[in-house]
Amino acid sequence: MSKSRSPRKKNSKPQPGRKRTGVWRFLFRVGAVGLVLLAGWMVYLDAVVTSRFEGRRFEVPSRVYARPLELYDGASVSASGLARELELAGYRAGDGVRVGTYQRSGGRFVISARGFRFPDGEEPRRRLSLVVSGDRVQSFSVLAGPESPIVRLEPAQIGGIYPSHREDRVLVRLEEVPELLPKGLMVIEDRQFYEHFGVAPQSIARATLANIKAGHIVQGGSTLTQQLVKNFFLSREQTLVRKGNEALMSVLLEWHYEKDDILETYLNEVYLGQAGTRSINGFGLASQFFFGEPLKDLDVHQLALLIGMVKGPSYYNPRRQPERAKARRDLVLSEMAEAGLITAEESARAIARPLGVSSRPSYTDNRYPAYIDLVRRHLARDYRQEDLQNDGLRIFTTLDPAVQSASEVAIRDTLPRLARGNTQEALEAALVVTAKDTGEVLALVGGKDPEFAGFNRAVDARRPIGSLIKPFTYLAALEQADRYTLLTPVQDRSFTLEFDDGRLWQPRNFDGEERGEVPLHLALSRSYNLPAVRVGLDVGIPRVQQVLRAFGVTTPISDYPSMLLGALSLTPADVAQLYQGLATSGFNTPLRTIREVTDADNEPLSRYNLKVDRVADPAAVHLVQYAMQETMQEGTGRSAYNVLPQRLSLAGKTGTTDQGRDSWFAGFSGDLLAVAWVGRDDNGPTVLTGATGALPVWSAMMSQLPQHGFSPVMPDGVQYHWVNAGEQALTEEGCPNARLMPFVTGSEPRQRIDCEGQFGRQIRSWFEGLFR
Amino acid sequence: MNNAVMTRASCLALVLALAGCATGPGGGSIYVPVGGEDRSEAPEPPRASGSEQNAEPRVWRKSEQPEVREPEPPATRSPSYRETGDELPAAAVSLIRDADQRLKQGDSNGAIARLERAQRIAPRSAEVYFKLAEAYVAGDNLGAAEQFTLKGLSLAGNDTRMQRSGWLLLADIRRARGNVAGADQAETRAQAL
Repeated sequence: MSKSRSPRKKNSKPQPGRKRTGVWRFLFRVGAVGLVLLAGWMVYLDAVVTSRFEGRRFEVPSRVYARPLELYDGASVSASGLARELELAGYRAGDGVRVGTYQRSGGRFVISARGFRFPDGEEPRRRLSLVVSGDRVQSFSVLAGPESPIVRLEPAQIGGIYPSHREDRVLVRLEEVPELLPKGLMVIEDRQFYEHFGVAPQSIARATLANIKAGHIVQGGSTLTQQLVKNFFLSREQTLVRKGNEALMSVLLEWHYEKDDILETYLNEVYLGQAGTRSINGFGLASQFFFGEPLKDLDVHQLALLIGMVKGPSYYNPRRQPERAKARRDLVLSEMAEAGLITAEESARAIARPLGVSSRPSYTDNRYPAYIDLVRRHLARDYRQEDLQNDGLRIFTTLDPAVQSASEVAIRDTLPRLARGNTQEALEAALVVTAKDTGEVLALVGGKDPEFAGFNRAVDARRPIGSLIKPFTYLAALEQADRYTLLTPVQDRSFTLEFDDGRLWQPRNFDGEERGEVPLHLALSRSYNLPAVRVGLDVGIPRVQQVLRAFGVTTPISDYPSMLLGALSLTPADVAQLYQGLATSGFNTPLRTIREVTDADNEPLSRYNLKVDRVADPAAVHLVQYAMQETMQEGTGRSAYNVLPQRLSLAGKTGTTDQGRDSWFAGFSGDLLAVAWVGRDDNGPTVLTGATGALPVWSAMMSQLPQHGFSPVMPDGVQYHWVNAGEQALTEEGCPNARLMPFVTGSEPRQRIDCEGQFGRQIRSWFEGLFR
Repeated sequence: MNNAVMTRASCLALVLALAGCATGPGGGSIYVPVGGEDRSEAPEPPRASGSEQNAEPRVWRKSEQPEVREPEPPATRSPSYRETGDELPAAAVSLIRDADQRLKQGDSNGAIARLERAQRIAPRSAEVYFKLAEAYVAGDNLGAAEQFTLKGLSLAGNDTRMQRSGWLLLADIRRARGNVAGADQAETRAQAL
């Protein structure tokens, strides 16, 4: 629009041979035409500026909720976990009678629940009584309100987002802003803000005078309104036409809107910095970006810095130009004192303080930025853009605050212990936790500083998965029950593969050893490389690829045999999806973070239901689960039991890539599935393996949560037999080397060996073992 | 077309109503609280492993792979499994009853929302999945119904009544979907029980 010309410059053709009155008439006509054109131009400008203003006015953010805590007899929660959950949902410790309070003595709770309008119906107000003992709810009863054996607490609000925008915004309301901010802003930028009509001629005159005196531009005479208009159209071009247009638009804005509306929009719109391609607009975001704190918590010296930066955000950038920024801030502080906004002492005290800028920029005020980031992506993936533009949506997520907190603590406490020096500095981590049977993402941590909204490794770091691929290779083999059982001997011997082009490939074991013949279950639980490649080549790479795709890999999978050792790059969230099928006996469940979205009237937008999809034979998966349990009990994952109770049965798999560049662990209990990754962003080497890097993080998270052990239901077509692991033969319970092991019916060994090691053909008594 | 399926599903509902007598939560898998979380209480006495009727036979195995940090004494358990899924806790039973009501009123979406809540509470019980299948039959989504039936069957374990209900439901759903061979196969499985 800056290309349009001022209508007054248009020429009409002179009409020669007229009298003086004709000249006047002519001038009058030109003037009239000019006025009409000007009026038209004003109408145009008015439309442009009001539409832009309307688009930038305060929007009501969508409220994002954690999953509601369900209380019933047997519910899994610790006493401290319940107390924390109540605090998060805004409950106060009190008498448990006043609505919104709870009373706790030891494990006994009385809660006066507020009630909540859930998308599927109202949860009325109730007074509840319960006892938490052994991390479980007992003696649950409703003291007042409608009777029910199960009650949902209202969910904690975990953030506010603007789903129709691509980035997080931090909008503020005028009444929530510290008073000093608008007042200080006016003192520095526009003293007559509440008096002028959009432009302030005196200020312009004063500025012009000052500029002429100085010989260059030292002062701007722009009002806040003019600055706002300038911000709308983001152009640094300084022409007279442009200035004129800005002035006209400012007047028009003032004509349409209240001063406070304009001020509020200004506070949310003004340009205050740049972070890469992203511009930092508004004081709310700038406060997070520079101080990592919400605007309402800022001190005088911090507010003064932000006010000072309006004049030149890059010139006074406090991270790059701290001295300049401090000088500017101190000037603002003394001006504020002079204007009587603060006392001279306050000003002096603030001047004595350092800038107080945080070392790392933060782009959000959300407490769980990585999780919210995934919510945002799922919204964009699953919901229609026009639905997301509605004001005041409510987004019900699957975040479990207790699991999220355990995950953050696990990373924060474990990571510094894993390495020293430079490596420790560079070490990063990610953790994804899902509910095993529902695919709901309960927690997500995207880096070692969980409150920092930066690179979200849990969903963006695509790294080779190493040995995490092996369960799928063995699954492909065990699906051929006539050829492979858990007892099938496989070769742990090196070999060389020659490609068509003459190149050679010689895989090795992690420890460089070779063990000869080993049973398949041992090859998996000990994560030997050579048998994995041999078995993979035997069943065929295409078959392994097929299994991986069925379980959820959507990216291209290499055809090279190195793929059998994990030359496949996935994100931690992808791996969680992949392992979901293993954990649920062959049923794929899409990961999700959103249960429901409603508009402001509680009308649900389209709903995404739980889905299950059988992708593998449950019998074969059961056998893989056996070996993955063995991994935890005696294989590469056994150090988990350094911190976890022996009674908690688990299944899992370690993964390590060359020189410890990636340390992975994926595993599950009866309730939770979690994937941990540890490594460096620069893909540099570490001293870590899956067992010494990711597994400690995983175990530290698991150890904080009460849960059921993993104990899969024996599926149809599977039978357990006592076998002698060394001899490929059935044996008796209690014999040396006896192991109770699952077989696809009919694939169990035919031979029988007694406790003394004698082969024989006794009457088969295996079902005694089966029923124990 | 789905009438037959609905009839069968309703029979199933009866079976489940009988089977779904409220029991204590947990069922088969061992619930492990966090050790020593609430310090105010006396530390939990070590539980005799015999009390959990799941005490696995003890097998001594020497760890074979060298590792930097040696864990505690080697594991004395073998991988866990069980022969039945979880029984339904009372809370889940009440949600399923509520879902049944909705289903009778023709509100299959409302029923599904309640069943999903029940599924979160009792994710390893076959009944919940059969109920979900039933709700999807009512909502005319036979593809989802078949998948939930299969999921339920994978958790039915050695409970023959549960298995028979599942196979019959599967047979009906497959027939309604035009998969006659698959239906016959499922029926044969039911009859073999």
